[in-house]
Amino acid sequence: MDRELPSRVELLQGTLDLLILRTLLAGPSHGHAIAKHIRRTSEDLLQVETGSLYPALHRLEAKGWIAASWKLSDRGKRARYYHLTPLGRKQLASEQSKWRAFSRAVGLILNPVDQEGP
Amino acid sequence: MNAFFRRLRWLAQRSRKEAELREELQFHLDEEAELHQAEGLAEEQARWAARRELGNLTLLQEDTRATWGWTILEQLRQDLRYAFRTMAANRLFTSLAITSLALGIGANTAIYSFMDSILLRSLPVSDPESLVVLNWYAKTREGDSVMKAMSGTTYDEPNSGVTAGIFPFPAFELFQKNDSVFSIVFAHYPSWQMRRLNVSIKGQVDVAAGWTVSGDYFRGLGVAPVAGRLIISDDDRAGASAVAVVSYGFSQKRFGGAANAVGQSILIDNLSFTLIGVTPPEFFGVDPASPPDVYLPMHTNELLGASNQFGFRAENYLARNYYWVHVMGRLRPGVTLAQAQAALAPAFQQWVAGTATNDQERANLPQLVVKKGAGGLDSLRRRYSKPLYVLLTLVGLILALACANVANLLLVRAAARRREMALRLSLGAGRLRIVRQLLTESVLLALLSGALGVLFAIWGIRFLTLLLANGRANFTLHAELNWDVLGAAAALSLLTGVLFGLAPALESTRVDVMPALKESRAGQPAARHTVWRISLSQILVMSQIAISLLLLVAAGLFVRTLANLESVELGFNRENVLLFQVDARKAGHKDPEIAAFYADLRKRLSAIPGVRDASLSEDSLIEAGTGLPLGLAGAPPNPANRILNIGPAFFRTMQIPILAGRDIEERDGPGSPAVAVINEAFAKANFGNRNPLGQHLILREPGEGDRLARDMEIVGVCRNARYGGLTRDIPPVAYLAYSQGYPRPDQMVYALRTSGDPLLYINSVREIIHQADARVPVSEVRTQAAEIDHTINQEITFAELCSGFAILTLVIACVGLYGTVSYNVARRTGEIGIRMALGAQRGRIVQMVLREVLGLAAVGLTIGMAAALGTSKFVESFLYGMKSNDPLALLGAVAILLGAIILGGYAPARKASRIDPMAALRHE
Repeated sequence: MDRELPSRVELLQGTLDLLILRTLLAGPSHGHAIAKHIRRTSEDLLQVETGSLYPALHRLEAKGWIAASWKLSDRGKRARYYHLTPLGRKQLASEQSKWRAFSRAVGLILNPVDQEGP
Repeated sequence: MNAFFRRLRWLAQRSRKEAELREELQFHLDEEAELHQAEGLAEEQARWAARRELGNLTLLQEDTRATWGWTILEQLRQDLRYAFRTMAANRLFTSLAITSLALGIGANTAIYSFMDSILLRSLPVSDPESLVVLNWYAKTREGDSVMKAMSGTTYDEPNSGVTAGIFPFPAFELFQKNDSVFSIVFAHYPSWQMRRLNVSIKGQVDVAAGWTVSGDYFRGLGVAPVAGRLIISDDDRAGASAVAVVSYGFSQKRFGGAANAVGQSILIDNLSFTLIGVTPPEFFGVDPASPPDVYLPMHTNELLGASNQFGFRAENYLARNYYWVHVMGRLRPGVTLAQAQAALAPAFQQWVAGTATNDQERANLPQLVVKKGAGGLDSLRRRYSKPLYVLLTLVGLILALACANVANLLLVRAAARRREMALRLSLGAGRLRIVRQLLTESVLLALLSGALGVLFAIWGIRFLTLLLANGRANFTLHAELNWDVLGAAAALSLLTGVLFGLAPALESTRVDVMPALKESRAGQPAARHTVWRISLSQILVMSQIAISLLLLVAAGLFVRTLANLESVELGFNRENVLLFQVDARKAGHKDPEIAAFYADLRKRLSAIPGVRDASLSEDSLIEAGTGLPLGLAGAPPNPANRILNIGPAFFRTMQIPILAGRDIEERDGPGSPAVAVINEAFAKANFGNRNPLGQHLILREPGEGDRLARDMEIVGVCRNARYGGLTRDIPPVAYLAYSQGYPRPDQMVYALRTSGDPLLYINSVREIIHQADARVPVSEVRTQAAEIDHTINQEITFAELCSGFAILTLVIACVGLYGTVSYNVARRTGEIGIRMALGAQRGRIVQMVLREVLGLAAVGLTIGMAAALGTSKFVESFLYGMKSNDPLALLGAVAILLGAIILGGYAPARKASRIDPMAALRHE
């Protein structure tokens, strides 16, 4: 159904925010590196669309969860580096516990431990 | 809040952010290309692959920008920029639209500011909302009533009955006792003799307006003095020392400052008063129509009345049947108007029933009506509210017309932009987004017009004030632009912007994209957006014509009324007469010397070079109105008879023809046989065909037994001349010599017949009177012509304003028509080209275009005529000498409008007939 489409996008978007925040926990990084990191770490299972990555980064910045500054990259070019703010750290913690609860709930339904008798 | 400021900072750094985003994305592309190159692609291919992966760059930028917030503001900025560009590109359209709207908004703002100051504004006192004014209502003014005598104004109610705000003093005391409702009750009394007080300050005399107030008046209103103290209860009792309070303006004018005034001793009507204080600058009393200069305690009425034969009588002060004091009160907190009415009405009812002596009086007792008092007395409101509502309706119609006009011009332009709209819709623009953009344009247009309109309003207010004041220096009506008025103007502009913008915006975005795109530039089918084959544009043109007709009819009616008034037969010659008033009695002259003083003054004035004749009368003819018991010898007095005390050569001076007998002459003085001149109406009513000369008239002094005052011989009959107004029927009038007994001379109005401009003689007059007696001030200086204009001031204002409105309307309507027809002609260039190529004559093309215009005009005129016939009766009371469906006004309006329509339609029609068929077809 058409109506499901927005909720799936919503879910993905929320997840992307979580993934970005988690990636930045390791230290400041620029957009391209974030995308690469997510792709590599997920063993190429998650492809981050550039078309949604940058809007997401700017949205998180607008919310004050991450902040940006211009630094020189490894290859000596100017790049926009994002880093977590204290607010973002807090947000990450709460998003993470929400995600864990969610995935546990989904896991419980998909792999029931005790099945009730017929 | 934090997020707000962050966004604000971003907005300021917007262009830097744009550049940063570009750089950030470029960096991404470089990195990606690098990656691909590392995987073995050639540099060029690696670049392309990176670009491909990135996808729609513009969309990405758009999406990212959206996260910065302020999308709506961002779009508004775009819309505004676009709107300004469009407006600049169509300068003629823009200036026409803005000017016509600004005139409409300006006129509305000006009229509204007058309504604000007259009808809506509260008194500048503390907590005006809790003030109430007490009134009474009686079913009829005919027959016996408990109201034996009155001093004050009564008003006829629209349907029936009569109402007034004056009470006997005992009733005021009754209200004072009712302290469950009021926290304080106070009274005031603007007696007629107070209107012109002779105020002498250190030998300098002038006329000032007075008002008497009860001891609680200032405390009740909550007014504090700027200097000294105000009148308190102790000042308002018999035997208290005579004190006075003056207004701030008066203290400035006569003492050069409030502080200087306090403690001064002044003479009021030759009686000594001590000035104790000054009211604040903003305070003007409780009647916005007449701000007093001097406030006196109520008890001074007895004092001042004693020296005047028609002055206030001490026995009336506590009389139960003499209605005179105005009563106001302040409601206790929490008490509503309805509660006050419920509590007081029965108490007054009981009291007033006790004053009735027979059944007829009991059947028509006045009933108490408690009214809001925040705005003070409603004399101004009663006088001006209806004219103002009529004017507001007229300017409202002008604004509607201007709106229709601009809507039509926008519609025409929108039609020209159909391809643009279709293109934008097909490229994926949302319809709402386009409507919003078009609305931004129209609202911007309206707001600019509003700003210009406020300028027009400032002029309008000045002009209207001049028009209404009509040369009077003490004009009290001061309208101004305050925040209320400006707010109303802004709201009006916004509303009009949405109103005239919405329809064209919706219309022009309702486009079938494909056909519109396929259309050639010039060949759009004629009637695309039709409702029952009538386009919105045609409806707008018709309504403009209808509205114009309404305004033209209004103008016609008022102009004809003015013409009727100006051609009223006066019975005297109004040109080259100077009038002014002097009151020697108030300056201390006594009988019988006062008559000699006036006679001597007349002689001195006659001697001024250039003064052809000079005379005097107790009132000017236009303001005359004295009724005393007068009748033929041997018959009872007839209440219809009127008198006017005059001096020698009055008829010669006013140039009223004497039909038989003679004028009053110098020999008709004290001691010589009493004489009178009657007018034709008097002769006809009392003597029929008999010769009135030599007959006797008896004048009695009202009071116990109506003592015989004068037995006069009729020595002349004069032609009917206006008496007491311009439009009233001329009553039977007897003109008496002023120096031959009761009523004894008080104030006098001198009339000088001059050669050349009467106003040139003012200085000589002032000099002569100052020489005769420096204590006697000259007041009410005016020419006879100006006095007459003053009485028809409202009619003059209406006629001039409405003529202006009508011209404005015609211009707006013509411009609208011209625009619409021109556009239609331009749209049909191809069709007309073909017709001409097939042999149509130029004349036929003109006819074709004009026929359509006249078709619209016929419908518009019919609707307008129906509306005019239906609504003109509302202005019936403003008309004189004609009915509201005056055929001349109606037909004149139709003729003028039709002429204007043909003019507006002919120019484009002629242009159509000049179309070169070859050029038109090639264009296709």
